[in-house]
Amino acid sequence: MRFAIAAAALLALLPFGLPLYAMTLLTEALILGLFAMSLDLMVGYARLISFGHAAAYGFGAYACGNFLLHTTMPLPFAVLLAGVLGGIVAIGVGWVCTQATGVSFSMLTLAYAQLLYAVAFKWTPVTGASDGLAGIPRNPGPFGVTWWSTHAGFYYLALAFLLGAFVFCHALVRSPFGAVLRGIRENEAKTIALGYNTRRYKIAIVAISFGLAGMAGALYAPFAGFANTELLFWLLSGQVLIMVIVGGAGTLIGPVLGAMFFLYVQQKLSSYTDSWALFFGVIFILFVLFLPEGIWGLVLSRFKQKPV
Amino acid sequence: MTGSSGVSRRTLLGVTLASPVVLRHALGDEPIKIGMPCALTGPAGEVGEQMRRGAEFWIKSVNAKGGLLGRPIQLFAQDTAGDPATCVRKAQDAVERDGCRLLFGMTLSSEALAVVPKLADWNAIFMSSDNGDGRLTGSSFVPNFFRANTSGPMGTRAVALYLRTAGFKNFCALGMDYAWGHNSIGVFKDEVKKSGKNFIADIYSPIGTQDFSTYITKIRQSGADACYLVLQGDDNNAFLSQAQQYRLGDKVQLLTEIVDLNSIHAVGDAAIGLIGGSRYTFTFPGDANAQFVAAWQKEYGVVPDVFEGEQWQACQMLQAGIEKAGSIDADKLRPALETVEIDSIKGKVAMRACDHQAVQRGFMVKVVRKEGFKDPIPELIATFPADQITPACRQMTYDT
Amino acid sequence: MEFLAFLVTQCLNALSQAALLFFLGCGLTLIFGIMRIVNFAHGAFFMLGAYVGYSTVHWTGSFWIALIVAPILVGGFGAAFELGILRRLYGRDGHAFLMVTFGLTLIMGEVIRLIWGVEALQVKPPAGLSDIVFILDEPFPVYRLFLVGSGIVVALLIWQFLERTRLGLLIRATSQNAEMVYALGTDVRLVRSAVFGIGCGLAGIGGVMAAPLVTASLGMAPNAVIDTFVIVIIGGMGSFAGSLIGAILVAFVQVFGTYYFPDFALAFMYLIMVTVLVVRPGGLLGKEA
Repeated sequence: MRFAIAAAALLALLPFGLPLYAMTLLTEALILGLFAMSLDLMVGYARLISFGHAAAYGFGAYACGNFLLHTTMPLPFAVLLAGVLGGIVAIGVGWVCTQATGVSFSMLTLAYAQLLYAVAFKWTPVTGASDGLAGIPRNPGPFGVTWWSTHAGFYYLALAFLLGAFVFCHALVRSPFGAVLRGIRENEAKTIALGYNTRRYKIAIVAISFGLAGMAGALYAPFAGFANTELLFWLLSGQVLIMVIVGGAGTLIGPVLGAMFFLYVQQKLSSYTDSWALFFGVIFILFVLFLPEGIWGLVLSRFKQKPV
Repeated sequence: MTGSSGVSRRTLLGVTLASPVVLRHALGDEPIKIGMPCALTGPAGEVGEQMRRGAEFWIKSVNAKGGLLGRPIQLFAQDTAGDPATCVRKAQDAVERDGCRLLFGMTLSSEALAVVPKLADWNAIFMSSDNGDGRLTGSSFVPNFFRANTSGPMGTRAVALYLRTAGFKNFCALGMDYAWGHNSIGVFKDEVKKSGKNFIADIYSPIGTQDFSTYITKIRQSGADACYLVLQGDDNNAFLSQAQQYRLGDKVQLLTEIVDLNSIHAVGDAAIGLIGGSRYTFTFPGDANAQFVAAWQKEYGVVPDVFEGEQWQACQMLQAGIEKAGSIDADKLRPALETVEIDSIKGKVAMRACDHQAVQRGFMVKVVRKEGFKDPIPELIATFPADQITPACRQMTYDT
Repeated sequence: MEFLAFLVTQCLNALSQAALLFFLGCGLTLIFGIMRIVNFAHGAFFMLGAYVGYSTVHWTGSFWIALIVAPILVGGFGAAFELGILRRLYGRDGHAFLMVTFGLTLIMGEVIRLIWGVEALQVKPPAGLSDIVFILDEPFPVYRLFLVGSGIVVALLIWQFLERTRLGLLIRATSQNAEMVYALGTDVRLVRSAVFGIGCGLAGIGGVMAAPLVTASLGMAPNAVIDTFVIVIIGGMGSFAGSLIGAILVAFVQVFGTYYFPDFALAFMYLIMVTVLVVRPGGLLGKEA
């Protein structure tokens, strides 16, 4: 927890030293960090590997985009509402997906994501079809606040959401609810034998996870000013899974680091060579082979703390 | 140095050192930086590569003659993999980190549509060389956007005008199921009806379709004698290969919005007999084009393809504008570009002030086998004047 | 076109598509059934097969030689990768394999681009198969008939291989109880390498066969991955017969679905997948629940 506070302080102070384009990149890293952290709830704490997390992200982006384009809802409320909406929809999705376990579960999440992609591709009035939604405004907040129209303002907004989500997740995994999740992760049969309806817990964590991912997507839409079908594509689902694993699954902080690492490496590599995907692939394989606990997992084990 | 070719760097050094002006104006001669986020990998990679090559070729020739406004040009080309989110990021980098005030590239219209709302904030001008989407000079128009290339509606229009005098009576259409496919077929349908002919059916295939057998069956069953195709890349190649395997061309004339060499090279003889619009082909007439093709062949050993030629034209227009304005500052460059007119490889091309679309002629080609060429080549069969091809200001459809 | 001719040609279209899907699905299900590895790079091996096929045809002028060379090279590369990298990951979490094969996809995609370039490459079907036949007065490409035939032949070969040969027996035994097989004295690791190699080789041969239809291009891998997963999940992960059924089902639904309901073309496969998984989580013939 000390690390988290230190990191939060660092992030809060960073904008004062950074040029504009770096701040923009860092803002995007925070949004992706929130996205990755949401997936960690499922992957790291409940061992439910979701291949369709981009669906939640894209859903949030489209929902928030529509709110901002068609109403005068203040930006923070639009983001929150989009996240909540995503979570509610995810209850249904979770119900369907948790019919299966293991690999089948993962495949169902993939199927759901691809279905959403196919629908979004054609549903012009809501999603703008293959063009997506463009020109998404950053609606002024409550009391006429327009701070988030600036680079720094939006950065702090994203940071606030990330920190808020972290506090929530941190509390969640340390709560009795979190204990049951860990039980499901370690030995589901035993947990069922102890009398828990594990299915309900799984659905709950899917809903929370998707809701937070939706919030991340909802932040992305006004950040970039657009939302399109690429946000729903399975490639993004694969990338966010990589962020979680590389950062360190089951640590909450790890995936945020993973997201930053991923974005930074991608930016740097692609400015040096067209073959950046090649080096990316090699880096992943090396991580899996030699650093499976992820960056943060390594840091924690150095400090002799076990990830929860 | 990110993205620019080694040649530019050496040339930059050579030009700077050789110029006596350096000694007198120690602070001047800062290079003109042009950012070019484009798809170099991914499905649009072929197109993006052509665009980059076209830009590099232009920059090399300009720098060899002493640069633009006496300043060397520096290109910052970065891969976006055809993803709009990455394109915005790269464009941002180009403007905020590398200090570019001018932009090329943005291979896909979806990428361009994502970036153009930010041009005003960046005070940067974007000269498009391949974006076809009609809305970029219509409902999504922004003052810092300029289109030097033939747009999608213009390409469709050329096909439609050609068909007025060709013998076909009944048409169907097959397009990729996204914005471009729908818009292009929409314009085509409109044109067919206006010319009093019969439009039977439009069919859309999902992007990434690999097996076109069902679609070929549908076309065959429709009773059309000509079919308008709006397909690109892998989908286009797969369709043409399979259509030839089913001998579809024997029954239905295949028409297309864009004919390009990459595709012909990929499908070989399956492309023979295809009639379509061409945004640029090396067989276009005129001295300007002959010189360009010769110089290109000397440099690269092959003839230039569609997007290489379009990029060259875009570069020429930008150059003319900058020379006219005497500056790259957006507020001075914009009005200069709005009235720029050049003798291009496609003939006379003039920028239009009201929507920043370059007014230019339209061309129809037919793919044939010709002596001396390994692959079939597109041969010019019709040319249409600019005023008939270019739609009215901010429009995507035509009145007559 | 009268209805009977339409029906027959559409069925043949579907079967030719099913053949290609089967090559892909069979390899993936074999790998999953034996090794519990979700081979994300399966599409990349498919693509590699197409490109190796292109080069072979380019150098030898013979498509038939390519049909032999490509699967051997691609399968060999797969086996080598299993030996070098995947072998270190047994006993670890399932998602380790996923990550590594995802990384491999990225690497292979880029290496192929570096070697063969970004343009699509033509692979012509052999002269004997470039013609058309008339089926109830409708032209139909001979090459597609060849695909259907090859699919049937390969399916039979694999079935016999699994049922009758020693290696086939070992493979089936390993999928049921790897420890027992090891205790009985077989080097299970060799079996695994062989299976991975065979699986990738099958993907490779699928790539060569697909190339005359779609050209060898960099977009092949991502398209193939999703298709393959869907088939294998529908048919049942680890079930050879399931991959056959899955391929046929998906192909028929695609061909007829696209014809009658084109707007839903994209969504069909996923709808089937969700339906099957909800009703039978292990797939139609699968063992994993």
